[in-house]
Amino acid sequence: MPSNKYFCIVRSESGSCEPPSPAKMEAMYAKFNTWKDTFKDNIVDMGGKLAAGGKVVTADSVSDGPFVEIKEIVGGYMIIAADSMAQAIEVVQASPGVGGVGSSVEIREISHA
Amino acid sequence: MTDSIVEHFFRHEYGKLVAVLSRKVGVQYLALVEDAVQFALLSGVELWARKGQPENPSAWLYRVAHNQLVGELRQRQSRERILGEQGPTIEDTCEDAQVLLSDDFSDDMLRMLFVCCSEQIPHQSQLILALKILCGFSIQEIASRLFLTEANVYKRYSRAKKTFKTAPNLLAENLDKTYVKRIPAVHKVLYLLFTEGYLSSRSEYTVRQELCDEAVRLTAMLAKHRYGHVPETFALLALMYFHLARMASRQDDAGSLLLLHQQDRSLWCAAHIQQGVFWLEKSAQGNVFSRYHAEAGIVVEHCMAPSFQETRWDNIVSCYEVIEAAAPSPLHRLNRAIAIAQWQGAEAGLALLKDYSAPAWLLDSFHWNATLADLHYRAGNRALANNYREAALKAAPNAAQKALILSRWRMLDSG
Repeated sequence: MPSNKYFCIVRSESGSCEPPSPAKMEAMYAKFNTWKDTFKDNIVDMGGKLAAGGKVVTADSVSDGPFVEIKEIVGGYMIIAADSMAQAIEVVQASPGVGGVGSSVEIREISHA
Repeated sequence: MTDSIVEHFFRHEYGKLVAVLSRKVGVQYLALVEDAVQFALLSGVELWARKGQPENPSAWLYRVAHNQLVGELRQRQSRERILGEQGPTIEDTCEDAQVLLSDDFSDDMLRMLFVCCSEQIPHQSQLILALKILCGFSIQEIASRLFLTEANVYKRYSRAKKTFKTAPNLLAENLDKTYVKRIPAVHKVLYLLFTEGYLSSRSEYTVRQELCDEAVRLTAMLAKHRYGHVPETFALLALMYFHLARMASRQDDAGSLLLLHQQDRSLWCAAHIQQGVFWLEKSAQGNVFSRYHAEAGIVVEHCMAPSFQETRWDNIVSCYEVIEAAAPSPLHRLNRAIAIAQWQGAEAGLALLKDYSAPAWLLDSFHWNATLADLHYRAGNRALANNYREAALKAAPNAAQKALILSRWRMLDSG
């Protein structure tokens, strides 16, 4: 298992467009499975999809979130392992998470210190 | 571990689930049903990709779609209170998941097919409905396959769906008479679906093949079911298999169209021809000789002929005569002339067209001009042939057709 861990934040444009057709879903599914097989050593936690809506909590307040004015909302997360940021980028770039229009993945190394 | 899934699983599950659930709640709730199925499929994709596939994906999808639909209907019920007593009754239990494990769902799918072919709905829209509901294509995918705009497909689809509000019974009741009456419309829409794929020269091979495969899938389902267990269905299915058998050989490696006598007959699929023969034999019963019988009769001659030269053109000519009598069309006359020319020579073919007053659209068409150019050339009327060649080139609908006739003439001129 590679030494470093990276937290990946999957973003997509809010108010996402048309739902995918069954044929597209089939393609997505196949792509996901191929990716999973190819990078099985790098995938620590497949993560998950985040449900819509949520709360933003501070010491003295609780409000509804995520903020709707933000153009891109966080839709999911995952944790991968890699030897370097370069390798992490390679893994993520091959993932279905970056495939959609307006979707992106932010990679942050989980600090050892 | 790879979660392998059969080809077109999602698309076909979509059609199956929409048909089964629509029968349960009534086709007037089609929009809700479609949303619920879409939801289930998407949940499946997302969850299975992470956690692995459940043991029985079909049953899993059914359960999720069913629960989603029940929840949605409940919400509506309490919100609007209009569903009250006349509202749909839908059981909470999912005992029907078992149904999906067997072949019984084909009953629901066929009922749905017959509903799609309601008399009030135009043929083109029936085709769109079948592709959307039973084959699981999206509006956008249908538009690209039928060469229509998305707006057009969408309009036709929503207009057709409105007629369902008044005709919900066919899914639930035993209306044998209605089914019998509607069978010709069902045949026609399946035939259309197939020819859209087979004859179109406008799109990728795989895309066209897909439409043909869907047509065969639905027709085979119909042929095995009591509603569709009639000789015309068998003939239609035979016709499709014979065409399918030759599909791969109609284009060369570069994607250019090939004429029948240029095709490599060893590429013809023996398994499909066998299927075709099986259904053709079954179709030879009763006292109806339909146009599907005649068309299957023509293709089987081509499939069985060891070579282009050894084709039994006389049989083909008599089949064209039947088709022309059953469904008079100038194109059938033209096809018959081509077959006669093969059988008795170019002059005999020309003779059939000589006193024929063809309609203007045919006279301006690529088919007419290319055929006459060919026949006149073979009959030795070079000047006339050249005139028709020019007209054919002008009328050719696309580059592939243009390339086809140019290569044909190069061959004739050099041989």
